[in-house]
Amino acid sequence: MEIELVEIRDFLAKRPPFDALPEEQLNQLPKSLEIRYLRRGNLFPPGDATQGYIYILRSGAIELRDEEDNLVEKLGEGGIYTTDCQLIDFGRATHGLAAEDSLIYQLPCDLLKVLRKSEPAFDRHFAESIRDRLKQAVRTLKDNAEESPIAQMTVEVSDLIKKSPITIDINCSIRQAAQLMSEKNVSSVMIMEQQKLAGIITDRDLRKRCIAAGISTDQPVSQIMTTNLETIQKNTMAIQALMTMTRLHVHHLPVLQGDHVVGMLTATDLARHQTTNSAFLASDIRKAATVEDLAIVSERLPDVQFQLANSNAAALHVGEAISCITDALTARLIEMAEAELGPPPVPYAWLCAGSQARHEQTSHSDQDNALLIADEMKPEHEAYFEALAKKVSDGLNACGYVYCPGNAMATNPKWRQTLRIWRKYFNTWINKPEPMALMLSSIFFDLRAVYGNMEMFDELRTDILNKTRGNGIFTAFMAANALQHRPPLGFFRTFVLIHGGAHDDTFDIKHRGIVPITDIARVFALDQGLPPVNTTERLEAAAETKVLSREMGENLVDAMEFIASIRIYHQAEQIRKGLTPDNYLSPEELSDLERRHLKDAFRVIQEMQDAMENRYQGGRFL
Amino acid sequence: MLTRFLSLDALRKRALSKAEPGALHDYLATPLTSKRTQCEALSIVSLDLETTGLDPSKDKILSFGLVEMQHMTIKLETARHQLISIEDEIPEASAVIHQITDDQAATGVPLDEALPELLQRLAGKVMLVHYSAIEQNFISAACQKLFGAPFVIPIIDTLALARRILEHRNHTIQTGDLRLFNLRPRYNLPNYKAHNALSDAVATAELFLAMASDMVPQPSQCQLRRFLTR
Repeated sequence: MEIELVEIRDFLAKRPPFDALPEEQLNQLPKSLEIRYLRRGNLFPPGDATQGYIYILRSGAIELRDEEDNLVEKLGEGGIYTTDCQLIDFGRATHGLAAEDSLIYQLPCDLLKVLRKSEPAFDRHFAESIRDRLKQAVRTLKDNAEESPIAQMTVEVSDLIKKSPITIDINCSIRQAAQLMSEKNVSSVMIMEQQKLAGIITDRDLRKRCIAAGISTDQPVSQIMTTNLETIQKNTMAIQALMTMTRLHVHHLPVLQGDHVVGMLTATDLARHQTTNSAFLASDIRKAATVEDLAIVSERLPDVQFQLANSNAAALHVGEAISCITDALTARLIEMAEAELGPPPVPYAWLCAGSQARHEQTSHSDQDNALLIADEMKPEHEAYFEALAKKVSDGLNACGYVYCPGNAMATNPKWRQTLRIWRKYFNTWINKPEPMALMLSSIFFDLRAVYGNMEMFDELRTDILNKTRGNGIFTAFMAANALQHRPPLGFFRTFVLIHGGAHDDTFDIKHRGIVPITDIARVFALDQGLPPVNTTERLEAAAETKVLSREMGENLVDAMEFIASIRIYHQAEQIRKGLTPDNYLSPEELSDLERRHLKDAFRVIQEMQDAMENRYQGGRFL
Repeated sequence: MLTRFLSLDALRKRALSKAEPGALHDYLATPLTSKRTQCEALSIVSLDLETTGLDPSKDKILSFGLVEMQHMTIKLETARHQLISIEDEIPEASAVIHQITDDQAATGVPLDEALPELLQRLAGKVMLVHYSAIEQNFISAACQKLFGAPFVIPIIDTLALARRILEHRNHTIQTGDLRLFNLRPRYNLPNYKAHNALSDAVATAELFLAMASDMVPQPSQCQLRRFLTR
């Protein structure tokens, strides 16, 4: 059969939602359309419409504005306006006009209704709220994930441990433990005291601490067991577990759910499931003897990111994997520095800040770090920590984590301080907030200990959260800060549409997409005194409190995941082409659907920023 | 040549008196659209014919495509594309342009079946074409041959309008400037790749909407006579 009006059919066929129509319906669709021409400056929708229509822009441009005449949306070729069919798509728009001479297709609402009834896939496009659309978008990203080996890097530990935990009571003898291990054919056993994990023993412990040491096998297991255990939670990512083992030089990690023992993860479990790439990366980091060795290893980081992105691993997990590798590199550099400088004179912790702390790093971002030193530090110890900071920071720079332009590094004496001074810093930032200070210091509100004395850092963090929790003035300042970066309105042709109606050729997806969400999450976390640092975890925790609705929380999490995925694909493409990955995205890189989903994500951010502006009266302080 | 001084309606009445009973007679019995009709109230039929050549005495109509407009809105549900079967083979040169092959043309109907439908669709309406000589002359020739009288209709010719506009603006008109697909970009209209009678009829209709809004920005002052060729 000859298809009439094939040009119009083809125009619709490649655009959502019409691309969801079956061939037959699509071929019939042009016949249901009417065509109008709007001269520049004419009202849109046309005032003389005799019934409700959905409008599809064939050529030209339409601007939609709100009550105060602010631009809300600019439609270009393929743009769709559905408001007159009782579908609220441009919530805040109250009027519009043709910004250019425009050719418009119109489809009566009644016909749209018939199509929606008969075609569920088409209907979904209209029926879905932003929330459902974003969820679907994120789900599609994940569904596309192949079962490629590299994707295995992002599996959780609970997927790798098969056996139920092998445990033995603390009062049992060493021989009983050895018998149990033989019987179960395992290389380690967990020692329980009451219902709690007290320690573990491994084949090596039996050899070194029992037989070689000449201890009787009748002795209780507590004689030779390892206490002060490092454990991991069952939802930890495999890559992170691998990095933890590598850092601690252990082959066994008890896996917990809360306080409850659920299994034992062994290096063999990991090796079975890790790709050669990540396993090599981990073991190469461990084996590296010099900074040069590490620099060679870290050259593979963009490849790892590229492969992860290509395997469609969730952006959340890519950021986590990259951050873990950076943690491991940092820890190895510190070990090297300590080997050279000798053991530290007083306890300390190496802190990372910013995206690494949030577990949201992409390969080779700037380094942001600090040193937290025990209060017993004497002036003569200063030289040791200065030297340590310099070695590690130079090492990171050699590994591609360039020096922080803002000098937020442990090499800066200001950020190499005792617990007492850090407390004072935060006290000042929180109780006497100043816009400039906040801009500089907001980086330190995303903070995590990578190496050293973790308890000291926990103490500092608890102190910080106690001070920020429910602190109205501080929160208002942070909220105002969170409103500094606004997302674009959307896209228009090959341009990015920004507030005020100006156009940009590219947009900075980091500062206009990711930063606004991380800023919002930080405000909630500090206001509510929530410990998580990762943006998704902060939002999930905040959604359990009264400051953030569950729905908005989910929307923000999905928006973050979608935007971060687009960023990672963008960077993967640059890596593939041998370019240096950046954050500047051109609308031409995006498919129609991606543009649409990104616009949904932007709208979620904007709604949240508007709400935040009201709630915390954000604008008042800046 | 006398016809030049007669009103269109007088021509219609004269033709009506000559026409044999049948489709043309019925067509001519319907009053023509008045040239003072407001644009909003106009019923316009945008028409395109594909022919084997330019000479109505020798060449044949291969197909017609049309679409109607009301309230200055193109109603695609009225779109119609009809192939016409001819006894002779289609000359190769025109087949290349229209992409109508003999096989396709064989699926068409003879002109004496197609013409009554066309006349019925045009009755009482305004005919919109790009370069009126083809449509006017070929339909008229067919009417003379089949019904013994000429075809009369108020015509809007986008090519003539374009020439008028360009001359008015003192543009030097180059070869090809007045072709349908060279005029459309001037009005921000999209490029159509397909080239058949129906898509050209739609393209012409869109061009007219654009020209009309350019020539008469105030819809209330828009009357048919602003656009008529004669």
